[in-house]
Amino acid sequence: MAKTILAVDDSSSLRQMVAFSLKAAGYQVVEAVDGQDGLEKAKLQTVDLVLTDQNMPRMDGLQLIALLRELPTYQKVPILMLTTESSDEMKAKGRAAGANGWLVKPFDPQRLIEVVKKVIG
Amino acid sequence: MTRKKILGSHVKRLLSGVSDHGRKHLTEVETDLLQTNLLLEEAIEKLSRNFMAIHDAVNSQQATIKLLLDGGTPSDDERARLATLDAQVAEYVNAAITSMQFQDMTSQLIDRTLKRVTGLREFLGTLGAHGAEMVPESGNDEIVDLLGKVSMALAIQSLELRSVLRKAVSQKHLESGDIELF
Repeated sequence: MAKTILAVDDSSSLRQMVAFSLKAAGYQVVEAVDGQDGLEKAKLQTVDLVLTDQNMPRMDGLQLIALLRELPTYQKVPILMLTTESSDEMKAKGRAAGANGWLVKPFDPQRLIEVVKKVIG
Repeated sequence: MTRKKILGSHVKRLLSGVSDHGRKHLTEVETDLLQTNLLLEEAIEKLSRNFMAIHDAVNSQQATIKLLLDGGTPSDDERARLATLDAQVAEYVNAAITSMQFQDMTSQLIDRTLKRVTGLREFLGTLGAHGAEMVPESGNDEIVDLLGKVSMALAIQSLELRSVLRKAVSQKHLESGDIELF
């Protein structure tokens, strides 16, 4: 059965491209428009990987990660940040919040798929 | 300090504060707009190039497709060529997807510029509102008091504006970004 990825980003064009790239590689993709939406969708269905932006309205990526890590079903689910942020300070915050990796935008679809395969197969 | 000097000092501080504030923010507006322009130019150039390349690749497959439709069998060379073209099209599509992400980045830069412009407008509005309170007959002490209030209000607004203007987009090119697994 295809693995499911939750893609969280307030940019609809970005979500579209992430979904296009991952679906082409055989993954199922659930989209969320911001951290709050991402949290609600994550609670409805436990996914295999969360890919989240940082700067979003209502709830940002770091807040989303921290709240997901409080859920028993998301203790071990890999969470990757996909963001324009590239500072060491932000990466350290992401790691401290519970992120397993940091991808700086723009992403190359082939590299994204390679990382996802490495993390969840 | 004499009253005249106190008044002069307040006026000087207010004028230089407003000037510095305005100039710093307008310089940042200029920087963000230039960065937006760079990203847009590169996006259009790359998208155009990849679109043309995809178009050429698809066109060059037409002869083989026609052969298949006519019931023919492609030669080994034609099969190999199709496989190569298929891989090339995938590369061009990937490159186009990377370039299309310009929308996300330029949108953030534009949003930051709009917030800054709104903040500057409010800043000047505050200056104007306090200026309207001043009456020509005011004594020096009243003027000094008012200038002090204006300076304080503007300093608070300036701090508030800075707090919502964190720069999250440093990209000046559309090359794929770093990946780090912790």
